[in-house]
Amino acid sequence: MRHSNVYRVASKDIVFESFDGEAVVLDLSTGKYFGFSDTGSGVWQALSSGVGVQAIAEASAIAAADLEGFISRLLEFGLLAPADAPGQPLPGEIVSALAAAREPLSVDVHDDLADLIVVDPIHEVEEPLGWPAVKQAN
Amino acid sequence: MKLSVIMPVYNRERFIGAALRSLLRQRDAADLDIIVIDDGSTDGSAQAVRSMMAEAPCIRLFRQENTGVTRARNSGLRQLRPETELVSFLDSDDISPAGRFGADVGLFRKDASLELTYSNMMLVDKIDDGTLEPTPDSRSITVRGIHLSAAIFSRRLVERIGHFDEDFIQAEDTDYLLRSFEIGPRFVLPDTLALYYRRHAGNMTRLEDVQSREFMRAILKSMKRRRIDPSLKPIEGIFELKKLADWRFF
Repeated sequence: MRHSNVYRVASKDIVFESFDGEAVVLDLSTGKYFGFSDTGSGVWQALSSGVGVQAIAEASAIAAADLEGFISRLLEFGLLAPADAPGQPLPGEIVSALAAAREPLSVDVHDDLADLIVVDPIHEVEEPLGWPAVKQAN
Repeated sequence: MKLSVIMPVYNRERFIGAALRSLLRQRDAADLDIIVIDDGSTDGSAQAVRSMMAEAPCIRLFRQENTGVTRARNSGLRQLRPETELVSFLDSDDISPAGRFGADVGLFRKDASLELTYSNMMLVDKIDDGTLEPTPDSRSITVRGIHLSAAIFSRRLVERIGHFDEDFIQAEDTDYLLRSFEIGPRFVLPDTLALYYRRHAGNMTRLEDVQSREFMRAILKSMKRRRIDPSLKPIEGIFELKKLADWRFF
């Protein structure tokens, strides 16, 4: 079966930010963190905001096989999951960023800070306890 | 050995006296130089510091307009004495445990090539301001966390690391420590208890949204540095926070 054309961020443990177009993704459940080439940052931002693969391919010069390989890795890392939703339009700033990008599409994974990322200080919080409280079983 | 301890303060009149006393009780461990940067406090913090300076000439107080903790730490670095050999940090609401400097400064005395010690910290919710120790009913957890006070840096290493990155509103300490370890210093991880980290409602690290974004920026910057310069080291096996994994902070 073909993958869906549209993806979503796989879970609430996957958190991400971008700084001047450069994306960083953390998996709070494993402590792994991910960085991208400039092209990869643009594609991650598009995919994670629900833009369909087709729209990304049409708006960029990325080869279809490269895009497919990149998405496979994101699925394999557990960062994305297929979404059953209509594709969102590709924002203009991502189109510009992809046009200006010079590096091949890539994603790097690191796990040297796992201890730090799993624990502190990003976890979502529900109650102002003022002191560590035993984490509730999910 | 000349040890300079940098302490930025902003409106902490209630705590800074205890923080300073926790350093002064360790004057036998090193030739202590305490650099207090008052970052535009509007309360009695500066007065609290001044009231201790007559008895403790090793405290130097510098006042500036409020610029935020990152720039305040850099102001502290600029005040290092030419003869400063070791550098550490203590926040104005935390406590340096008795014997903390004696233990780790001794390691530098024994090994002239040592550049960094990185020890344990205890998170604690009640500290007796008289004894400067956790109260018997306080809750505590000891970890090798991410905190500047866990470290003593050689002056040479401080020069290699450079200044705190003023792009950061927070997590400047995380960024600084990541940069410290990336450049491959000669370090040891002693089991010294280097800090009582006071958990209270006013702690800065409660600003969750900004904090998490700044933390992620520190990680992104570290990845970029290592991508550009493959000679930089991964930061493996330093932080040991597993004991915190079953706990959650608000």
